[in-house]
Amino acid sequence: MTDTLANPTATTPSCVFDAKDFASGAHPVWCPGCGDFGVLAALERALAKYGRPPHEVVLVSGIGCSSRLPGYMSTYGFHGVHGRALAAATGLKLARPDLEVIAVGGDGDGYSIGGNHFIHACRRNPDLLYVVMDNRVYGMTKGQPSPTTEPDWDSDIAPGGIGLRPFNPLAVAIAAGANYVARGFSGDPNGLADLIVDGLKWPGFAFIEVLSPCITFRPEQRDWKKMVRPSNISIEQDRAAATALVLADDGFSLGVLYRGDRASIAAALKPEITMGDVEREFAP
Amino acid sequence: MPRQSIAVVFAGSGGSGAMSAGAVFLRAAARAGYFGMMTQLFGAQVRGGESASLVQIGVMPVEAQPDRFDAFVALDWDKVEQFAAEIPLDEASLIIADPASGAVPPGIAKSKGRVVALPMTDASESKADRALLGRRVNMFAAGCMAALCGLPVGEIEGAVDAIFGGKGADVAAANKARALSGAQAAAALGLDLKLAPPTPDQRWLISGNQAVALGALRGGVRFVGCYPITPATDLVEWLAPHLLKLGGRLVLGEDELASINLVIGASYGGVPAMTVTSGPGFSLMVESLGLAIAAEIPLVLVDVMRAGPSTGIASKTEQSDLNLAIYGAHGDAPHVVLAPLSVGDCAATAEYAVYVAEALQVPVIVLSDQALGQATTVIDPVRDRPPPQPRKIDGVDAGKPFKRYATTGDAITPMPLPGTPNREWVAEGLTHNEAGLPASGAAMHAAQIHKRARKIREFDAGERWGEVTGEGDTAILAFGSTVGPAREAARRLTEAGHSVRVIALRLISPLPVRQLAQALSGARRVVVIEQNDSGQLYRHLLGHKAVPVEAESVARPGPQPFRPSEIVNYVA
Repeated sequence: MTDTLANPTATTPSCVFDAKDFASGAHPVWCPGCGDFGVLAALERALAKYGRPPHEVVLVSGIGCSSRLPGYMSTYGFHGVHGRALAAATGLKLARPDLEVIAVGGDGDGYSIGGNHFIHACRRNPDLLYVVMDNRVYGMTKGQPSPTTEPDWDSDIAPGGIGLRPFNPLAVAIAAGANYVARGFSGDPNGLADLIVDGLKWPGFAFIEVLSPCITFRPEQRDWKKMVRPSNISIEQDRAAATALVLADDGFSLGVLYRGDRASIAAALKPEITMGDVEREFAP
Repeated sequence: MPRQSIAVVFAGSGGSGAMSAGAVFLRAAARAGYFGMMTQLFGAQVRGGESASLVQIGVMPVEAQPDRFDAFVALDWDKVEQFAAEIPLDEASLIIADPASGAVPPGIAKSKGRVVALPMTDASESKADRALLGRRVNMFAAGCMAALCGLPVGEIEGAVDAIFGGKGADVAAANKARALSGAQAAAALGLDLKLAPPTPDQRWLISGNQAVALGALRGGVRFVGCYPITPATDLVEWLAPHLLKLGGRLVLGEDELASINLVIGASYGGVPAMTVTSGPGFSLMVESLGLAIAAEIPLVLVDVMRAGPSTGIASKTEQSDLNLAIYGAHGDAPHVVLAPLSVGDCAATAEYAVYVAEALQVPVIVLSDQALGQATTVIDPVRDRPPPQPRKIDGVDAGKPFKRYATTGDAITPMPLPGTPNREWVAEGLTHNEAGLPASGAAMHAAQIHKRARKIREFDAGERWGEVTGEGDTAILAFGSTVGPAREAARRLTEAGHSVRVIALRLISPLPVRQLAQALSGARRVVVIEQNDSGQLYRHLLGHKAVPVEAESVARPGPQPFRPSEIVNYVA
């Protein structure tokens, strides 16, 4: 049995929407200058471009600054508990394959408390998009090191640095079976919007890691705009090569880094038995 | 005089086939028209531990474990000392064993039961045949006991076919041959264990776990998220193929945290959804139980209770998750807790749980237990079908933003399905305003707390709150697997001239205080029976002033089931 797609294709819905059709009008709680504003703008633009109406889209999130995002969009939304967004999003997508399901969150939510769910969402490969706004810090609790924080970053809770090798979400995603892996930057909302549309169209689990600076607790991340650059990966479908590149990369290469050919989870069956059939099985 | 019932133990080391022996014996009885119940006793090991099936069959329905066993059939003596103390035998019990297995061990011999020698291996069989076909001592023993009880050979064969037919014709034939050899050996034993004639009718052979699954399917559950855990796993193993063929989905989560969130996500999408677990898994799910309560998302959580705390005893029963089920979630978190009254009632209670969850937009916990879940019974088909109560999904208020969590008017507010135009809303676990946006003001916090509390306060289970049997002065209160023995004890007490009633609680929370007051009216003595050490139900009842302060608590830990005699001795 194989889970490989015969012909990876994607559907292209088409309606006419404007980015502002996807804004709820609620004022974000984010600090001025937060990278997440750029991600919100990119999502609005991407969905307008993608063409499905707001009521057919569900934004699912966990807990953290970035997880507040569903409330700022005009789509359906689900703001759950810390780390479990992908499980809820998977349940929703499997129950309602007609909906466009997008999970969003931060690095603590997705890679630490939700790390197991991240691995298994990649492995399960449901047809949904996961956007992580990575600022390498727990912002909502005011500045603790996250799984992606550099080992020497000084903080109250880990003076002198946490001293641990940062988690590499892209390598983990590729290894665990994600079907689409990309990196974007909140400072380039148009480029990010293109990646989001691309990810939505690609079958299976699409993961976009977005560098989204926290200028309140990590002001040095303002320099990220000088550090990002387009990826030079040209062998997107080679899993081993993509993994090698992602591991060797300094974390600032942007673009699609891996594109797989795994089929997503098969659709549920059409009912083929009745409750009467079930009950007859209890005859001794 | 023929017997009305008989209680038999098939015991051996894990892998000896004790469970299959009991299954064949019970099914043959069911096919012949008898009622019955089989429970399982086994250790933690997959193979090589101790295992026993405890089977009662008879002309009347069986709802409680027997006080004592009429026969103990040893398939081997290897591990029997590990549970000898948990199987009540006495001098009237028969100890049936192959002399080739060795001497009766002291733990069994001390019952002073009569030892009956039954050679179970076929001396004429060549070594090669034995290696190829196996000794199948279990089938021999099952066939022999079935014949001793007067079960027709055709029904014994039918039972073997039903159980082993799926494993290939040669496997079924080999088992059948050994069962028939056992049946033929019965006459030479000179024992009279014949049962009175049965009353054949359409019956079900069903376990409590299967009945919960059936009830959930009847209620419309078409999505299940779960993680393997004893003793709940066989529920989902039975459910999975049926659910798939009915067009549903079962997702094996990476853990219980994922499982309940898979379910919450599916339910948010409009598909009635359920998760199934036991104590340790339930502990992990409590986090998101609170989410489902706060965000007002329906779901059914089945807890097949096992002995706790922590990982406790995986394979054995206890009723000690009551506090967790009622009070587990942090914050003010009103929801519903139900408990089935019998194996058959597992179906009706689970179906009802789906309807209550959907109607109130809350999690409903079904507190089953290992003694119900893994008891296989022969019962009349479950025809009790609670009336469906659909989810309220139409939103009349089309204002923007849509007020999913409106706090005025009906406490149950419309929950439009995603995909519905102009009703977009956010399911929110944080304290939220009427539109579902996070809000931390005192007034809105109180308003939303009160909205959710009102849903539960105004919920009326009507006649489904529980069942009262008898009108006696002494009221015995019980739930779950304790109801069966309580009712059997009451029957015996009444026969002996005592005045007893049994109040079986299906609705554990919110406590049906009004109906309980009515059920207790005129009672002069109240006895609350439960299988946990701390008196969790007793304290729950006292806390709501639902029983008088003089009420007596009979609370002891599992995993031994309450036997009717234990309750009789206390009450009499």
